This record gives sequence, structure tokens and C-alpha cells, in this order.
Amino acid sequence: MNIHSTDVLILGGGLAGCMAAINAAEYGVKVTIVEKSHIERSGAAGTGNDHFWHYNPDIHPERGWTIPDMVRDISFEGEYGKTKAGLMDQELLEIVAEGTMEAVNNLERWGIQFKYDKIFPWNLEYDAPEGEKKYRIVPQFQSAWDTLNYDGRDIKKILAEQCNKRGVEIFNRTSATGLMKNNGTIVGATAVNMRTGEFHVFKSKAVVMATGMDQWRLFKPYSGDWFNSQSPPTITGDGEAMAIRAGAEVFVLQAGKTSNAGFQYFRNLCRSSGAATTSYPAGRYVNSEGETMIRHPAVREPLRKHRENVEASIRDGKTPFYLDMTMASEEEIAYAEWSYKNEGLCWVILEIMQDLGLDFREDAFELDLEAAGRLTGGFLALWINTDCETNLKGLYACSPVQFAGEVAAPTAVVLGWRAGEKAAEHASKNSLIEPSSAQINEEQNRVLSPIESKEGHPWQEVNKELNNIMEEYTGYVAGWSPPGNRDEISMQGLQNCVEQLEVLSSRNMKAGDPHELVRCNEVMNLIDVGLMIVKAAMNPDQYEAGNWFIGKIIDNEPVFEKRPIKIKYPPKEEA
Amino acid sequence: MPPIFTEECISCFKCAEICPCDVLRESDEGPRVAYPDECWHCGACMMDCPTNAIRLDLPLWMRPVTKRLKK
Repeated sequence: MNIHSTDVLILGGGLAGCMAAINAAEYGVKVTIVEKSHIERSGAAGTGNDHFWHYNPDIHPERGWTIPDMVRDISFEGEYGKTKAGLMDQELLEIVAEGTMEAVNNLERWGIQFKYDKIFPWNLEYDAPEGEKKYRIVPQFQSAWDTLNYDGRDIKKILAEQCNKRGVEIFNRTSATGLMKNNGTIVGATAVNMRTGEFHVFKSKAVVMATGMDQWRLFKPYSGDWFNSQSPPTITGDGEAMAIRAGAEVFVLQAGKTSNAGFQYFRNLCRSSGAATTSYPAGRYVNSEGETMIRHPAVREPLRKHRENVEASIRDGKTPFYLDMTMASEEEIAYAEWSYKNEGLCWVILEIMQDLGLDFREDAFELDLEAAGRLTGGFLALWINTDCETNLKGLYACSPVQFAGEVAAPTAVVLGWRAGEKAAEHASKNSLIEPSSAQINEEQNRVLSPIESKEGHPWQEVNKELNNIMEEYTGYVAGWSPPGNRDEISMQGLQNCVEQLEVLSSRNMKAGDPHELVRCNEVMNLIDVGLMIVKAAMNPDQYEAGNWFIGKIIDNEPVFEKRPIKIKYPPKEEA
Repeated sequence: MPPIFTEECISCFKCAEICPCDVLRESDEGPRVAYPDECWHCGACMMDCPTNAIRLDLPLWMRPVTKRLKK
């Protein structure tokens, strides 16, 4: 067993975790990152990011955009329409908007290029001081033109360098396994090395949960392959499971983390946002007759406004659909290719296209045709307040603005930064508290049991059966979020799922090596996440618009409550 | 399918160091794909290989399906 002490312990070294570490280190406290892969290429931005929305005080106010306008726009009029009303925490979103300019300035100072000599006709025209380079701004998710296209392919390497410069202690290949608690306060975490199998105990004055915003492998994979996912397939709700076990509050969306992809992605939901946002401005969505259904699919409005074109094409049998750049100018295609080079998972598309002899100038790319409102299951996130605090003293998190997936990189960057600051402040005012050795031993036994057991099921077998149970669960929760659209559910069916999950969690797994050990722990975490989601669906109180639906474990059973959302900026017609 | 290593490989093992899914290991014969079913095909290894010695061969379900719509 390896025992360490630190001031601020950051679990997860993606965008949020690295920003938290860099900021915390500025406060003169000792900072430690625990990352299950390697911080240079970890997380959803591991292989890059090409789009970052921001609020720019030198550009937006003179165009009539205030931060409240932007918050209102994202909350109520964004891509998903009023169905998202109330699903976004506007106070957190406001904090994100307020923090984006500072984030861009920091990233630029650290070596990431955001400004260019040349901007293009499809970029926002604005006045910059004489001789100064300009941002390449495009419209993307919001009505305001606020998205920066930039050279973000190696953003993680830049952040890793900044962590190293500040003396942040980094444990790569080390997967966090559990939070340690003493008298209601979080006092650290345990972890296991994925290569050596060594068990680690990190005592810490503050902990930041930055483990990523997905629970991959909980439900059946869309294309039959767990390892084909939009963000790392190793983001398996570890943070949420650790938090649940420690008694933290989690925001529960129990039915309907509908894949918002629709036809934003290539066939089989591949390659992140390559199809839509990254093809701007060259892209068109065309039907099988080559008729343009949506021009500029990246831009918020067309996707929502031209849905009827899409539906007409489906009715008329003009499927499948394609991303077509063949009608674009050379300059537009070159810009899209520059975006692909920088966006996560997309650089590889360019390489593969070379190998397969494909070219955006000649070929149209088949899109995924996903029915709107397809129920894909449930989702959890650690609930946080505007100081990134969870309900557990000493535990901070950088959750995705209480489920608002479209806000992406800026959310991780700004809330990570903020969580780092708050955690550092907490650490400077508090002392280390010892975890109990009983707790450590219990945790060590739990985590290492698959490698210590003589026999058991391989992780893949348990994972598949988990997928089957969760599929059965979605069948019992007919209907779809938004709330109120849910049809009658089968309580008996849900209870059946709970029982199956409990039996599944009692089955021993066998790991042949430390890598498989971590996979086994991921599956254990996913089962805990699944139980929370299914039990939430059995609760008499359900998720409804205008309320957060929060769950936490009390005396080994989850307890749920509805917590009213404060709408700081209601839609204009209601104001 | 998992990464293919060409003759350009100098066994620096940067790929194994940074692979997001922990799929690669060092060996005397160069980088070894220890967990072929778990490759995400993200391309991080290709990006960071100092000698461009890696190619990815996407599994069939990840490959773009294309059509020449232009007349």
C-alpha cells in the first residue's frame, strides 16, 4: 500500500482536472492529479478540440449581447428548444460565460493559438486594433456568434506542461476507486495503478471530482462496440459511483439521456462532432437524392428549423442522409479540414480518408439516422452549487452544468478552474484528517477482490449482462424525457431489474492483471450507477421541469428529492 | 483494428505511455497491442509517434460509408 498526503487531490486529469490543478497550484498548496490514462491525451479533449464558445466583453456588448442574454439563449432557445427549459443551471452557466474570456486568455498565454492573421468571410467581422490578429468566430450552438475555431489539437499537452511547471504531482495510469470519509468530511481517496496493481491511499484536505461527464458501457453500445464512443469509453461513471457510495448528492436523469446526435454524427455515431459542427462552413446535409435538407448543420438554428425537411425526406424514402461538402469552395473545405485536424477523434478521419482514397471534394459521407427522442437510458452527475461544492464537506466537482451537454469544453475549463480555486481555499484553511484504517482495509479488499479471487466472471461478461438489464429497464420506463411525457411504468418490472442488478453486483469477477482489475472496478461502478437510475424511476416523486431531481444514499438506500431550480433569466416572453 | 507499427518504429514507447485506453505495452519486439478489443481508434498514438510509424485500420463499423453524389 502506498500512502500519500496532499492538499488538493484531483481525481481525473482531463480538461477540468488539469485546469483545477493549474489554478489550485497558484494558491501555493500541494496539488495531486490521479488520472487513469495519461494527462497528455486523456479525456474528451485528449485528441483535440476545435470549438470553444466564449463571451467577449470587447465584441458582444456592442452587438447587443449581454451575459444574461447568452444564458437565456442557451437555456431556452438552444438547439434542443424548450425541452431543455429548466434542465440547465443558469447560475452555473452564467459563471461559465463569465469565465470564458479569462480561460481563452490563459490558454493563449500558455501557447494555444486562438488569433490569426487571416480570417474568412464566414467568420465574424469585427474591429480589432491595428495590426492585431483576430479570432475566427463562427455561430455554432447559440444564437450569438461566439464560438472560436482554434488550434486545439494539443490542448492537453499544453495543460500537462502547465501542470508540470507548477510542480503538480501527477499519477498517470492510476484509477481512483473510492472516496474516504471521516465524520461527514471527505478526507481523501483510494486508487489503483492500472499497470502494477498497487493500491494507493491519498490523504487530502480537499478533493475535486473531475472524472468526466459520461457513463459509457452502462447501456448497449450503439454500434455493438463499447469502444466506439464519442468520449473515452473508459469514462464509466467512476466519479458518480464513488460519490454515491460516499453519500454525495447526484443529479439524476433516469430516463432519456437521449443521444442528441440524431444525424449530427457519422454512421454508427462515430467520430464525435465530425459531421455537423466540424464541417462548418462547407457542410450540407443532403438526402439520398442529393437534395439539401440543411445548410450549415453546425449552426443551432437550421438543425431545429429544418427538421421538417428531414422528416419529409424520411417520409419520401430518400434515405440515408449524407454530409456533403462537394459543393463547397476549396477555401471552405480547407477550413473544415483544419477543424477536423483539431477536433477530437477527427484528425484520424483525415488520415483514414487518405488511406481509403476518400476526399470531401468528391465524396458524401453517410450520416447516422437516429429517430428523435430515442430513449438511451439514464444519466447522473454530481450536484454542485455555484462554488463547485457538493453536499459533502471537502468534495468539489466540475459537473456539466447540471446536465447541459452542449456547453462542452468551456464548462469543463471554467468550472474546473473554479473548483481548483475553491478547493485550494478550503485546503489552506483546513488540516489533514486521518481516514480510518478499517475504511482503508475494507476499500482495499473491495477494489482488489477481482485480482485476488481464484475464480470469477471476466469483466466483459458482467458488463454485457449489465447492458441487458439496463435495456430491460428502459423497456419498463416507456416514454421519454422531458418529464411529463412518461407513460405508465411497470413497477414490478423495475423491481425485477433492481433484483437482477443486486445479484449481478454480488457475482465475483476475475481479473487476470491490473488492467483487467480496473475494468472490473469500472463495471462495479456502472452497476452502482445503474441501481441509482433504476431506483430513481421507482420513486413516487419524479423528475419534472423546474426541479432538480437529486438522489443520495442514506443508510444504504437511495433517497430522492425534488429541488426547485431558480430561473434567474426566464424566457423573454415570460419576464 | 488496433494500431499497426511499421519499420519506422524506434521503440520509444511514447504510444504506450499516452494511449487513453491503456491498450499498448512495451516488449522486446516493440510496442505490443495487449488489449486489441479495447482500442478506441482515437489516433493519439499516431499523433504522438515521433517517426510516424503507426497506422490505424478502422474496424468496419467505424469506417466512413461514402457515395459519389456529384454527377
